Amino acid sequence: MRGPAFALTPRSVNRVRIAAILGVLGPGLVSGFADNDAGGITTYSVAGAKFGYDLLWVLLISQIVLFFTQEVGARLGLATGQGLAGLVRERYGVRWASFMITAMLIANLGSIVAEFAGCGAAVTLLGLQSWLGALIAAVVVVVLLTRGSFKWVQYIFVVVGIAVSIAYFVSALLAHPDWGRAASSLVIPRLATSPAYWVAVVATVGTTITPWGQAFIQSYVADKRLGPEDLVGERIDVGFGALLTNVIALFIVVACAAAVFSAGRQIDTNSPDAVQSIAGALTPLAGSGATVLFAVGLLAASFLGLGVVPLTSAYAACEAFGWETGVDWRLREAPAFYGLMIFFVVFAALFILIVPASSLIQVMLTAQIVNCLLLPFVLVFVMRLASDKQLMGPLVSGRKLQAIGWAGTALLVVLSLTLLATSVMGI
Amino acid sequence: MLYLSQAIGRPVRDKLGEPIGTVADLIVAIGDRYPPVTGIVVKTNGREIFLAWHSVSSLDPSGATLGTTAIDISKFHQRPNEIRLKLDLMDRQIVDIDGRKVVRVNDLRLDEVEGALHLVAVDVGASGLLRRLGIEGPWRVIARGFHRAVPERYIDWEDVDPVERTIASVKLRVPHKGLAELHPADLATIIDQLSRNDRVGVIASLDDEAAADAIGEMEPETQVDILEDLEPGRAADILEEMDPDEAADLVADLSDESRVEILGLMEKEEADEVQELMTYAEDTAGGIMTTEFVAVPASLTAAETIDRLRDLEPDAETIYYVYVTDDDEKLVGVLSLRDLIVAKPSTCIATFMFAEPVAVKTDASEEEVTELVARYNLLAVPVVDAEGRLEGIVTVDDAMDTLLPQQSKRRLPRLFSRSGTSER
Repeated sequence: MRGPAFALTPRSVNRVRIAAILGVLGPGLVSGFADNDAGGITTYSVAGAKFGYDLLWVLLISQIVLFFTQEVGARLGLATGQGLAGLVRERYGVRWASFMITAMLIANLGSIVAEFAGCGAAVTLLGLQSWLGALIAAVVVVVLLTRGSFKWVQYIFVVVGIAVSIAYFVSALLAHPDWGRAASSLVIPRLATSPAYWVAVVATVGTTITPWGQAFIQSYVADKRLGPEDLVGERIDVGFGALLTNVIALFIVVACAAAVFSAGRQIDTNSPDAVQSIAGALTPLAGSGATVLFAVGLLAASFLGLGVVPLTSAYAACEAFGWETGVDWRLREAPAFYGLMIFFVVFAALFILIVPASSLIQVMLTAQIVNCLLLPFVLVFVMRLASDKQLMGPLVSGRKLQAIGWAGTALLVVLSLTLLATSVMGI
Repeated sequence: MLYLSQAIGRPVRDKLGEPIGTVADLIVAIGDRYPPVTGIVVKTNGREIFLAWHSVSSLDPSGATLGTTAIDISKFHQRPNEIRLKLDLMDRQIVDIDGRKVVRVNDLRLDEVEGALHLVAVDVGASGLLRRLGIEGPWRVIARGFHRAVPERYIDWEDVDPVERTIASVKLRVPHKGLAELHPADLATIIDQLSRNDRVGVIASLDDEAAADAIGEMEPETQVDILEDLEPGRAADILEEMDPDEAADLVADLSDESRVEILGLMEKEEADEVQELMTYAEDTAGGIMTTEFVAVPASLTAAETIDRLRDLEPDAETIYYVYVTDDDEKLVGVLSLRDLIVAKPSTCIATFMFAEPVAVKTDASEEEVTELVARYNLLAVPVVDAEGRLEGIVTVDDAMDTLLPQQSKRRLPRLFSRSGTSER
């Protein structure tokens, strides 16, 4: 080798290591944490309370599908340096991009309402007024996102994510579940024929794989300026994130299965405060500590969702329409970006304060339907883009990845249509 | 005036009014201030044919009419300076040079200039977006009802710069003339918004000095990304043009592999300097000093010293002090530019230099340096080794960096910034 040999200075060793760990391990992990937002936790709690351990096999499947959809998203980001919204606009035109963004904004608005509902439920469990929770969460999120340094936001996301994981792990332990049965249910599907069972199956997958999750991972990877050489690191990151998402989901299902299903309790899972009742059921079995932990986890997860969902929405809209993405992130210089983000949070917060709880379910259901409608389009876009040799270069999906990707997409399309049908028909 | 979106998809008729196909795209030759339209792409029977512009007698929102009946479908070759408007520009990102940001093309505006149709402006406003969605008319009616105007925004073609990835249909070396004329800090702001490939494209089009200036203005993590993406020989050339202290900080952040390779390709003298600077801890005087300074022997006269300055052409930040060293390179005095100019040309500098000047050791902390600069109102502090030999200087701007809080020192990190690496 040409060139002088020389010793590494301490600082360079230090920095390269930080960069290697935090620089690449990030998008998939944060995305994984954020996937388990208020809506996710509600779905898992209900699944566990209603069907016990029977739905655990679904988590294994959604884990695999999540890995592959996130992997494609990350790969698109690595190869093109662009977010999904921008890419769809360039390749499929302004109408498709507008449709995607509009649908995503509507669905995300519903998700944000759900996050606030989650905050409310959590603070109620902690013995406070629910409106107080929503108000504080709204103020904190707006201040953090508009005034805080985004580096801090990132750290907070990770810390909160870890808090959620620990909270649910411990509450599952305290509930003394039947671990043997849980393990066998994870690998051996226990199928049932009731429509409600299949709705729960679809909802569990649907809450994990979302249009905004797809947009999020790609924008994040692109914005970190990661490139083709980061492929291996990104795959590890995405795999780790997907695993973590579903391990948390598993703990929630297990805790609720033990507290409600195995204990033979009946809980109206269609009521707006189903999560509260389920978490409350942990107390007689595992002590009030378990309920508090569950509430803390829910609060943290809702908060995480409150940060990520408005951010992704505003980001995608700005990217597709070419508004100040990537400029100095100051309020005055990025009015569209911050305007959208603040609008989302404030609108959803007001909504939750004004609209009675019974209508909330309707709103979240609408959001879910819009998400179901959108997801097939998003996945087809993603799969087609990732198979485009000219666009992807060496990172293009090979035959195997294409086959897996399309199989996963087909599965999700079927699931989405099923959920859509059941939601519309009100099963 | 014609918008591209108004022409796309419209019927193309021959001289006798017989429909031939639809307008698929327009071709312009770039390079001129306002690129002239040189051809039209017609979609007919599911395939695209290319027609030279002289065979088109009119083009407006109702469609295109050809001046001939016989279509010449001889093989079309896209010339290297020709781009397709819809394929290459529509919905793509371009740089708004005046606004120093990356924007997306909503529509393209064409105008008759001296009897020919030219691309004159890029529509980046809301009206363009609404037009593309086909709801401009209804929207305007609604907006009028609320006494609001639909925001329109156009950027003159002269003030935009298509980035590399924008142009997909031809391999084009985008000249980036407009970008090259920007202040390095503005250029850095723009480059910061681009994707990786586009960054490399822009840097590739600049000369070494301009590239070095722009890179010098960027965040450390961006600097590293760009340098590692560049061809190593070119990266070495750019590093040579940077201030040695900046170059050392940057080189220290590179991966081991690129560092060895790039340093090996640099001129020996510059590479040595950078490596020497890298041996100092980052938060010490040695770590923030530059090795670019002017040192002269005490035996010179004022006139000789000024001549020496003329020969050396030092940078703006290092010209204000001339350091006086003895035969062992030990620091013995300092002269300000003012001292030199007001002194009689024939006076020996030893007689009026400031002897025993303030200096710091290479291992002094950043805070010490800052304090000295502030206390004595210095523009630069000399840095000496344990034996008192002059090793470098810390200029006031580098010293002040330590005073500013981390966040305001540079632009705020981007939304999803790579954390960790930007900590200094």
